[in-house]
Amino acid sequence: MNWRRLISPHALFWWGLLAVTWILSTTSFQLYKALDARWIIRFPKAWEMPMESWISDAMRWLLEDATFGLFTFREFTRFISAIIEVPYDVARAALADGFVQGQGSNAVEIAPPLSWIAIIVIMIVLGRVAKDWTLALLVGACFLYLAMFGQWDSAMVTLASVVIAVPIGVIGGLALGILSFRIPWVERALRPILDLMQTVPVFAYLVPILFLFGFGPVAALVATIIYAMPPMVRVSTVALQTVPAEVVEAGKMAGCTRRQMMWKVLVPSAAPTLMVGVNQVIMLTLNMVIIASMIGAGGLGFDVLSALRRLDIGGGIEAGLAIVVMAIALDRVSQAFSTRLPDEVMGRDLSYVQRHPWFTTVFVVVVLTYIAGLFAPAVQDYPEAATLTTSAFWEDAMRYVNVTFFDTFEAIKDVFLSYLLLPVKRFFTGIPWAWGIIAAGLAAAKVGGWRLGVMAALMTTFIAATGLWTKAMITIYLCGVSVFIAYAIGVPLGIWAGQNARANRWVGAFIDTLQTLPSFVYLIPVVMLFRVGDFSAMIAVVLYALAPAVRYAAHGIRAIEPQMIEAGLVSGCTRRQLLWRVKLPLAAPSLLLGLNQTIMLALSMLVITALVGTRDLGQEVYIALTKANTGQGIVAGLSVAFIAIIADRIVSAMARHSKERLGLA
Amino acid sequence: MKFTSAISAAALAAVLAIPAFSPAFAEVESQDPIRLTTHDWTGQIINTTILGEILKKAGYNVELVQADYIAQFAGLKTGDLHVATEIWETTGREAMDEAIATGDVVNMGEGGMMAIEEWWYPSYMEERCPGLPNWEALNDCAAEFATSETAPLGRYLGGPVTWGGFDEERVEALGLDFEVVHAGTDAALFAELESAYQRKAPIVLWIYSPHWSTVKYEGSFVEFPPFSKECYEDPSVGVNPNAAYDCGKPTGPIWKVAWAGVEDKWPGAAEIIRNYTLTNDEMGKLVVAVDLDGKSIEEAANSWMEENAAKVDSWIN
Amino acid sequence: MERPLKMVCRNVWKLYGPDPAAFLRANPAPTNEQLREVGMIGAVRAANVQIGEGEIFVIMGLSGSGKSTLVRCLSRLIEPTGGEILFDGEDLLAMSEQELIQLRRKKIGMVFQNFALLPHLTVLQNVAFPLDVQGVPRATREARAHEMIETVGLKGRENYFPRQLSGGQQQRVGIARSLVVEPEIWFLDEPFSALDPLIRREMQDEFLRLQGLLKKTIVFITHDFDEAIRLADRIAVMKDGRIVQTATPEELVMNPATDYVAEFTHHIPRGKVLSLRSIMSPGTGDGPYAGDLKSTDRVADVADRIEAADHPHRVLDDSGTPIGTVDGRAVIDVLIGRRASE
Repeated sequence: MNWRRLISPHALFWWGLLAVTWILSTTSFQLYKALDARWIIRFPKAWEMPMESWISDAMRWLLEDATFGLFTFREFTRFISAIIEVPYDVARAALADGFVQGQGSNAVEIAPPLSWIAIIVIMIVLGRVAKDWTLALLVGACFLYLAMFGQWDSAMVTLASVVIAVPIGVIGGLALGILSFRIPWVERALRPILDLMQTVPVFAYLVPILFLFGFGPVAALVATIIYAMPPMVRVSTVALQTVPAEVVEAGKMAGCTRRQMMWKVLVPSAAPTLMVGVNQVIMLTLNMVIIASMIGAGGLGFDVLSALRRLDIGGGIEAGLAIVVMAIALDRVSQAFSTRLPDEVMGRDLSYVQRHPWFTTVFVVVVLTYIAGLFAPAVQDYPEAATLTTSAFWEDAMRYVNVTFFDTFEAIKDVFLSYLLLPVKRFFTGIPWAWGIIAAGLAAAKVGGWRLGVMAALMTTFIAATGLWTKAMITIYLCGVSVFIAYAIGVPLGIWAGQNARANRWVGAFIDTLQTLPSFVYLIPVVMLFRVGDFSAMIAVVLYALAPAVRYAAHGIRAIEPQMIEAGLVSGCTRRQLLWRVKLPLAAPSLLLGLNQTIMLALSMLVITALVGTRDLGQEVYIALTKANTGQGIVAGLSVAFIAIIADRIVSAMARHSKERLGLA
Repeated sequence: MKFTSAISAAALAAVLAIPAFSPAFAEVESQDPIRLTTHDWTGQIINTTILGEILKKAGYNVELVQADYIAQFAGLKTGDLHVATEIWETTGREAMDEAIATGDVVNMGEGGMMAIEEWWYPSYMEERCPGLPNWEALNDCAAEFATSETAPLGRYLGGPVTWGGFDEERVEALGLDFEVVHAGTDAALFAELESAYQRKAPIVLWIYSPHWSTVKYEGSFVEFPPFSKECYEDPSVGVNPNAAYDCGKPTGPIWKVAWAGVEDKWPGAAEIIRNYTLTNDEMGKLVVAVDLDGKSIEEAANSWMEENAAKVDSWIN
Repeated sequence: MERPLKMVCRNVWKLYGPDPAAFLRANPAPTNEQLREVGMIGAVRAANVQIGEGEIFVIMGLSGSGKSTLVRCLSRLIEPTGGEILFDGEDLLAMSEQELIQLRRKKIGMVFQNFALLPHLTVLQNVAFPLDVQGVPRATREARAHEMIETVGLKGRENYFPRQLSGGQQQRVGIARSLVVEPEIWFLDEPFSALDPLIRREMQDEFLRLQGLLKKTIVFITHDFDEAIRLADRIAVMKDGRIVQTATPEELVMNPATDYVAEFTHHIPRGKVLSLRSIMSPGTGDGPYAGDLKSTDRVADVADRIEAADHPHRVLDDSGTPIGTVDGRAVIDVLIGRRASE
């Protein structure tokens, strides 16, 4: 340990800030008693901003009075949902429900949905076109799993919403990305909006979306799109900005008009990067499946929810795994498309069928299975008798673990609670709000300059002034502890994976599953083993937020130039020295980015752990949702977003400093 | 509204080449589908499915739309949604009153079931705490119910804070040595019950009925001093002369509500909806058939329809 | 210079900084100090260039000297802060976007350092691209592209994608693309810098061969003085945004305007650059002469003959009139780098 570093002026600032905060936190209650100043621990009611009612009033105005002259705002949003509904109905008919004529009891089926065989063949072909037969087999196996485990119908309903939400998210994201690429002020204006879209918990805006877009699948689609689009906007802007200047100049010198420039030069050149955005949209859309099903999307998400409501753990896990499997298939295919190289152009003298062998295959299979399905139902619908279930296995496994290990878990939990969770909770909840604002401002200013400091202080003030101080502190405590533990587990795992190819495969699969498995699936087992309380919430958050800690650590280690390691080796480093003296310092920027992402995921998960029973901002958002209180939801959602934004800016600034120190910026 | 729905209908018709109307039964007032809301608990979905089947039998078109229990009122007010079959006196009263006050939503009468909500314990606790179900016994065995987090107090698992219920006040008023811990959702509530039940571990928690849990798990509700309005409002009433809430929770009917426009658009259907009832017993059996015996909701609803054909016909005519 | 002027650029400035246009209006000829004071960066300063038809005009400078900025001003990829640029006597800077697009479509071609090929298009589609954006029908443009591909020696690779080609081949595609519209002026921005030395040399030969066929007006950017000497009719040497000297390779070597230019010329094998005209002693004496040589002959080519002879050679101009004499000593001066006057 280098003691001098611990007492440098730089470090003294942090020690000082911590000490003052600690003293104020432990004495705030006595201070309030001694000075008879209740305002020290509670933000005075009289000063509170009635933000909630402002927002609710604004919403009411938007719903009932806002008008563009010819038509009202709500007619406008309803018009949008009518437009989205048309393709959605078609997709749903084609994948799940079949095309029908007439309504309700008079409905006559015109054509059945695509048969399970046809859809599996389509997916296999997609895999083959995107990459190779290995991928094709993987994708085919994934969809066969859906059929064999009896998840087909729900999975197709989910797929129908993915098929609609993803293109809208991608096109919308690309359009906004193009706008902000072309017009600088659009980019400036969009940046904070995107920050909010990504950090305000979805629960916070479900209610206004229901009001504006009506009930049912379309509202769920809109919520999904809002949640899944921001990364596409960001990726599009960056992708267009990073098209090599020379390529743009080549386009100009060829005499491209602006439109030709965009569509013939920029967008095609940026296509591989754009596909990364598409992949993000797909994954986020699948992340939203459960929440979307709460407002009428149906499908696998609804199966998970209803299985859990009747404590059918096995059923929940199976439906949850179906989401994982679908996510894996769509993720791999879209990733393959992003690295896919254009096909060799073939001769011109081939027939249509020869030039489009895959399309022809799909067409033939669809037609054949349709005809065969008329006579053999098993071709149309996967025979129910042939489905498998592992439900009982999960049920028994859970019971065994519960009965055998509960007491052990209880003992572990007690240790964590008394030595980590409760002291940290006392520390944070004791901080007087006034000092909290100052401390947030000082810390942010120290790391990222006075502008960031002012922004952090203003955002913290907003939280205090809307009366959410205590809940915000509980949020920070729970998130902080969870991030600490996720990081402590994730970074070593990541380092291990980064240095060992086989470990990387296993850890990667584990992480992928954790991230795509809907958290609802493991909330219930966690509650069964650890009871309702902060510890259960923490476990759920840790499981969810582990992924970025692992990924970024592994990536940071892998991205180190081999020369650096060779330099370490020839200097005579032992393996341990190599790790601590060479690899970790060089991976620092990556580790910090991982920390940033871990915090973001932890915060987004906190809202879901409200379902376990926490008393943080997540709960506030959830209460607002169940009471359909727009204002309350948005205020609490904004508070979560502000905490996320402050954390993001501080950690990013730290990552930037560390990059500059290493000369990587 | 007219403007948008006309456009969506036209667009749909264009894409799917479906004529907008194809009435089979001439006598019903409108072929537009009546939208019934379903929520995320089985009993309500069965209840709604049965009502849907009855309406179909009468010739109406019906659509089941999934919507949140409270958030649905926004849709019921605007006429996006038409009928909700289960608004519990105990949990939905406030939202229902607010919606009815606007004049856009009407109460369609009691649904036949009575909601019970109260502290509940599994029957194996009777041995460990012999005085149960009397509430006074709870204090004698508070230690039995304690966990390391709550000790020396017993741990009572309450419902989500949004359910209200005044449990903190009740604990205070009745001098119970218990700490109230709130579950975030009822799924968490029943997860804890399942876990404790598997281990035959002590637990006392908030249970509501009709619900599959009272069928699946053996146990009883704690008997508190009976609820009265005065007990909640007037401190002097009840066992503790200085505190309100010194009694049990209220029970109450489960209501049916509908969009006010239903009466005008489908008067016949409105009549059927008013007539329709389902008892606690019937509901208990249906829920067990689906949640514990693994029947599908449609199967359960259909067999109920067959068994009660006469009753259904009397409602229709 | 007898050639008609194709492109003229007068007093062109490109400044970066806060409101450079206003600053330049206030200070039409700012000094380095003035620029530094207000935090302006002068990427191009007071550039004057005249390019004749059919001429290979090379702009030479090290990185950061402003040569790339200058050529982008000439093609208006970058908007100059001040000055005047005439193309065929027309004011380039006054053109509307539409006119500029038309001009680029018909009259200008450009080759880039890193090839700037479109990754999603085949060789054929890349070469046909400029015609595509003009809306030329597919059959016509592909026929034309095939011709160009053959000209640059890539026949048979029409359906390859850029990633499947070597660097040299990719630049051949770049060249074909820039020539497909038969431009009147051809900009080449360090076209061979990203290539290996051997390939670079091969491409230079190829370039000279093409120019022999096509006779374009060429603006060629390079940081490689050898390349400049090898290809140029005239060279403009740039430093810190200013053109230090514009001259033929020979003049540069003989009379470098500054020490900076001399630094470059110093290491050049002078015999290969200089012609007899620049080393001869003017005026004809009485003889005897070992023989007659042309004034345009390169020293290196005739050095052996001059040295082996006992007497000086007579130097004749294009019309055959004797204009001077050259002897062994003059040749040695050149070859060992001694100034003739020393």
